Amino acid sequence: MQDAPGPCRVVAFVRGWSPDRAGVLELERVRAHLRGLSAELVFESEHGTWLLRPDDDPRPIERLGRTRFRVDDDEDGVFVIVASEAGPGTIEASGAVRFAHCQRSPIAGTLAPALQRATDVMLAQAPLHFTRRAWLTTCVVSGFALAVLSACKQKPSREEPEPAVRAPEAGELDIVLDVNGTKHPLRIEPRVSLLDALRERLLLTGTKKGCDMGQCGACTVHVAGKRVLSCLTLAVAVQGKPITTIEGVAKAGELHPLQRAFCEHDGMQCGFCTPGQIMSGIAILDENRATDDDAIREQMSGNICRCGAYPNILAAIKAARGGAS
Amino acid sequence: MKPAIGAPIDRVDAQRKVTGTATYAADTPVTRVAHAVIVTSAVGKGSLRALDIDAARGAPGVLAVLAHGNAPRVKADRAGSAPNERVLQLLQDDWIHYADQPIAVVVADTLERAQGAASLIAPRYETAAVVASLEQSLPTAFEPNAMVHGAPDSSRGSFDIGLAAAKHVVDATYETPNENHNPMEPHATIAVWTGSDRLTLYDATQGIFGVRQRIAEVFGIPKEHVRVIDQFVGGGFGCKGTPWSHVALCAMAAKVVNRPVKLAITRQQMFSLVGHRPHTSQHIQLGADPEGKLTAIRHAVISETSSFDEFVEPSAMQTRMLYACPNVITTQRLVRVDAPTPTFMRAPGESSGTFAIESAMDELAYKAGIDPIELRLRNYADRDEQENKVFSSKSLRECYQQAATKFGWNRRTPKPRSMRDGHELVGYGMATATYPASQWPAGARATYRPADGTYLVQAGTQDLGTGTYTIMTQIAADALGVPVERVRFELGDTAFPEAPVSGGSTTASTVGPAVKDACTMLRAKLAALTPADRAAGQPVVAEAKSEVSPERKKFATHAFGADFVEVRIDEELGMIRVARVVAAFAAGKILNPKTANNQYVGGIVWGIGMALEEHTVRDRRTGRVVTRDLADYHVPVHADVPAIDVIQIDEVDTVVNSLGTKGIGEIGITGITAAIANAVFHATGMRVRALPITLDKIA
Amino acid sequence: MNAFSYVRPTSEAEALRALAEPGAVALAGGTTLVDLMRLDVMRPARVVDLGGLPLDRIDAKSGGISIGALASNTAVADHPEIRARFPVLAEAIDAGASGQIRNMASVGGNLLQRTRCSYFRDLASPCNKRSPGAGCAAFDGYTRNHAVVGGSPNCIAVHPSDMCVALLALDAVVRIKSASGERTIPMSELHVVPDRPNVETSLRPGELITAVELRDAPFAKRSRYVKVRDRASFAFALASAAVALDVEGTTINAARVALGGVATKPWREQRVEQALVGKRPTQQMFDAAAKLALADAVPRPDNAFKVALARRVIARALALAGGVS
Repeated sequence: MQDAPGPCRVVAFVRGWSPDRAGVLELERVRAHLRGLSAELVFESEHGTWLLRPDDDPRPIERLGRTRFRVDDDEDGVFVIVASEAGPGTIEASGAVRFAHCQRSPIAGTLAPALQRATDVMLAQAPLHFTRRAWLTTCVVSGFALAVLSACKQKPSREEPEPAVRAPEAGELDIVLDVNGTKHPLRIEPRVSLLDALRERLLLTGTKKGCDMGQCGACTVHVAGKRVLSCLTLAVAVQGKPITTIEGVAKAGELHPLQRAFCEHDGMQCGFCTPGQIMSGIAILDENRATDDDAIREQMSGNICRCGAYPNILAAIKAARGGAS
Repeated sequence: MKPAIGAPIDRVDAQRKVTGTATYAADTPVTRVAHAVIVTSAVGKGSLRALDIDAARGAPGVLAVLAHGNAPRVKADRAGSAPNERVLQLLQDDWIHYADQPIAVVVADTLERAQGAASLIAPRYETAAVVASLEQSLPTAFEPNAMVHGAPDSSRGSFDIGLAAAKHVVDATYETPNENHNPMEPHATIAVWTGSDRLTLYDATQGIFGVRQRIAEVFGIPKEHVRVIDQFVGGGFGCKGTPWSHVALCAMAAKVVNRPVKLAITRQQMFSLVGHRPHTSQHIQLGADPEGKLTAIRHAVISETSSFDEFVEPSAMQTRMLYACPNVITTQRLVRVDAPTPTFMRAPGESSGTFAIESAMDELAYKAGIDPIELRLRNYADRDEQENKVFSSKSLRECYQQAATKFGWNRRTPKPRSMRDGHELVGYGMATATYPASQWPAGARATYRPADGTYLVQAGTQDLGTGTYTIMTQIAADALGVPVERVRFELGDTAFPEAPVSGGSTTASTVGPAVKDACTMLRAKLAALTPADRAAGQPVVAEAKSEVSPERKKFATHAFGADFVEVRIDEELGMIRVARVVAAFAAGKILNPKTANNQYVGGIVWGIGMALEEHTVRDRRTGRVVTRDLADYHVPVHADVPAIDVIQIDEVDTVVNSLGTKGIGEIGITGITAAIANAVFHATGMRVRALPITLDKIA
Repeated sequence: MNAFSYVRPTSEAEALRALAEPGAVALAGGTTLVDLMRLDVMRPARVVDLGGLPLDRIDAKSGGISIGALASNTAVADHPEIRARFPVLAEAIDAGASGQIRNMASVGGNLLQRTRCSYFRDLASPCNKRSPGAGCAAFDGYTRNHAVVGGSPNCIAVHPSDMCVALLALDAVVRIKSASGERTIPMSELHVVPDRPNVETSLRPGELITAVELRDAPFAKRSRYVKVRDRASFAFALASAAVALDVEGTTINAARVALGGVATKPWREQRVEQALVGKRPTQQMFDAAAKLALADAVPRPDNAFKVALARRVIARALALAGGVS
């Protein structure tokens, strides 16, 4: 491969924006896209210019010219341009930047969906043996330009972007999963487990894959109010049933009493089994199965904690249950 | 202000863990990441005669199939790497050295398609006869080339003379089986290449800098071009201590498909791709005079390693210093089997070794008619007789005494089968726990952020669930003289100052002093700021690198403890249950008694597993692991674990490091297996010398 | 997992039609099927999700209880009438798997649970069950968990269910439907020894289990389950026994004894039963009768311990049921 060293860099011109005004979730989404694109993002607004790398905090950088910035003491060029508020732009052969006309739109309504679509376009079009730089430049510029343009034409919205428009492939089904009170449309093969649908499609990664064969309990979620193993559940089979994952347990930022008890009683070490332990624990408390210590131990035996925090988990469940042991 | 160190504060990362927002490697969001799966060999030895990948390559969504014919050439051997690295299997040739060795990697746009396509790979093999177990090749035992620490053998005095002089002799062979770590988080890697030679890895590892070094070597790129990130590790116990083949295979796949790739190994693959605790056979001879004073000890260990690499389970190390005895020989040998290379597993050496030596001491106690605690006190070592050094601190007497009292050891009637309760035979057993206290160099950085008045402290270390986030926050807060709420500690990123692998119970003692130093320096810097500096509002940074104090070399540095166990055994049905455990540990300064208790208890739970349940069984004909999942490889469940009462003995040690910590991650699993085995003997009169003690062995 | 087509019928008739298609398998709780599909041990072309069928009723009537095939294991074990009238069934279910799996697993699915033989589950090992004529890797392999009775060099895979052992002891009847009508068979005729290891039951292609029926009997009320395993919970049986006793005054009128964990199918021990009838329920009597069990055992080197163990398990279960311990 004769690739250019260094990252693909994406530039966004945004009015009235600075990193401390960005929402955490918005930034997380942007980071995910940047990883997917192997790219980094330059934000520019009247308040300054920042560089966002996928795994670093945004930091101010120096602007040297319209498309040149100083990063890490090197003067770096820019391969790709995207704009939001002033409209999307592309680099012309001369190096000039041309902006398209578009309406005002806050960053949340444009950037993340724009990145998403850019990734879609890129993956849909990219031939495999293209050099990376040419590939990214072509795909991302066209992808971004189109995506940002269409995003900017829409009303400001916090909605998720629509899935890429493509025909369902053989065997794929369109389903809706009702997770933590939100209905998520998904196009998946029937062989997708609920666990993989949650983790890989909905990015609800709190539910863990410890064995993928029903032997550890790390993937425990509630379906229609019952604790089940999402690894042995086909996603298509639970359409229409309310699903609760660890992300849906705290209400309005308020931890569930069992979550609080796990913190206070140190009912964890590595934390990987913890979401499953808590989902199981909530179920046995709700079903009045946590009658005494031995009953709790037996009822919780489907949730393996390899770190061996069992005595603290027992203490946490008793504390959340309240009353005498 | 009350010091934060020593306070039982809640884990600072607890809230992220209970809400599912702690980001483990495979949780890192990467839009449209491709998925890779590893295909492994069916046979245990031989070569690939043919590997048909066409069907897989043509399956829907498949981006690439890598195999030895088409995989990029990389460096898989370990020359130039640290001696505790492993030889990797990176599709560079068609040889098969062990069952379930990687033979292909399938990459597709979804996980399901990658898995589905992987099942279409059709290998044909040239097979050779396997040596699947240690027993088959005992006569070929050889002296290892190198150990991670110390020499394979030791000798002092004259064992033969000592044994000849003995009144009581124990001569027995103890066995510990192959075991697999099975952290709840299976190893996973996400590889993102930027350009041709810059790589970011989100990798489930106990050592981000080790991964960086090794992967840079594999791909022949500068290590500074590799960034490794792992903010939360879902348990490690040793199997994430060195980078294994899948990490490089993931990066290779990402390079080939020119797109980020995620590779999470399956639970079944955890039994072949990421190391195991090797089977040991340990011959112990003890001689003692009429009063029970040891006159001779021989501890000869043989453990298995792979046909292509060396790893030593150093089970004899503690025997060199545990008891006072003038005549001691220890040896550690290897035999080769057709299996993956073993690796460190929680207290490598001491867990398996204390099972043997502490079982033998119990046998000696019965032979000599001396109470097991009294026997150990009569042989109490006041200094390390092998190294001829005094201990920097040792509070083992207090451990015996306090744990025995709390346990009610005096209620024990020594005769086997002399205590029962209904259907149940009751047994009491005890043993000594010990683990070395080590320190390595490490770096840390502290930054004052005037914008919000907080302190950001960073080190390239890991938190395996051990509480690193929490104790480092406490150390930093005290060094800075601020409450813990104003300190944020970050780890798991090679962009931070370098710290070593999280292993050997060293993180508190290694990273702690660096954090302390960086924060002390920052505090001094802040105190020296002029009002103008302050008004400028710029962040202030201090970075420190801690070194190992030369003073340590003059001392033997170890943590010690004592385990007391009650087992109950259904006399007819044979089911063995650990009914309660009381243990006392003295491990220097305890930074946080709450997280420390959890570590000790976790070690004891591991001891229950090791004593009664864990066993990786290989088919002797094929070398394939038969117990290849968590239904067949048992680890303790909630119902196996009773109340565990841990006493933390206060200990001041000014030698070990500037914090006085000895490390607590591993000592919990030492001693406990012998204590359980000794309790089983007391309950039943059956001396089981081969773990695990399953009910068929006492029938 | 292979790709497959997915259907979710809403009537029994529709389900029977779908199941009659080649390569179709029924999906209930998924705890066996999805697990084995993930291992590629089962590769169905078509999965027929029975979740839309109204087959989960538990009907307690005078004279007996009818349990719909889709009733969850939890629902059965928690049912107060079952606990009172057929306690061995509740005990056996509670002794099996984990809370999550019991919530998912159906009665019908549990009847068709497949073996946990490690060689059956590992595609790299020959297995006559998976592929008739391939040979049995288990017979000369690691056999600690394998059958001591009911097997042959062709197959020594253990039947893993706890529930089935209890149902066998209770003389349960299985109700089966097919396109051509309905039939019932006694539990004792559902499972077959592995003369042909790939044939595990007497079900015919296209048949669907719709219910299990329990009839009240004097022995049913006095029934117990004892299970011995390698850890205290969430493990398959090394040996288990379901026993039921009809004791009148000081005489045993009738007895039922069935074993799990030791045989290729749930294993009835009529010799033990006959030895008990007309006798006084004493520990000595129970011990002596239990010794008659497994007279035809052909153990392998690793599992020889199971013979004596199973006898002791029977004796313990009889003692509990007979109230002499």
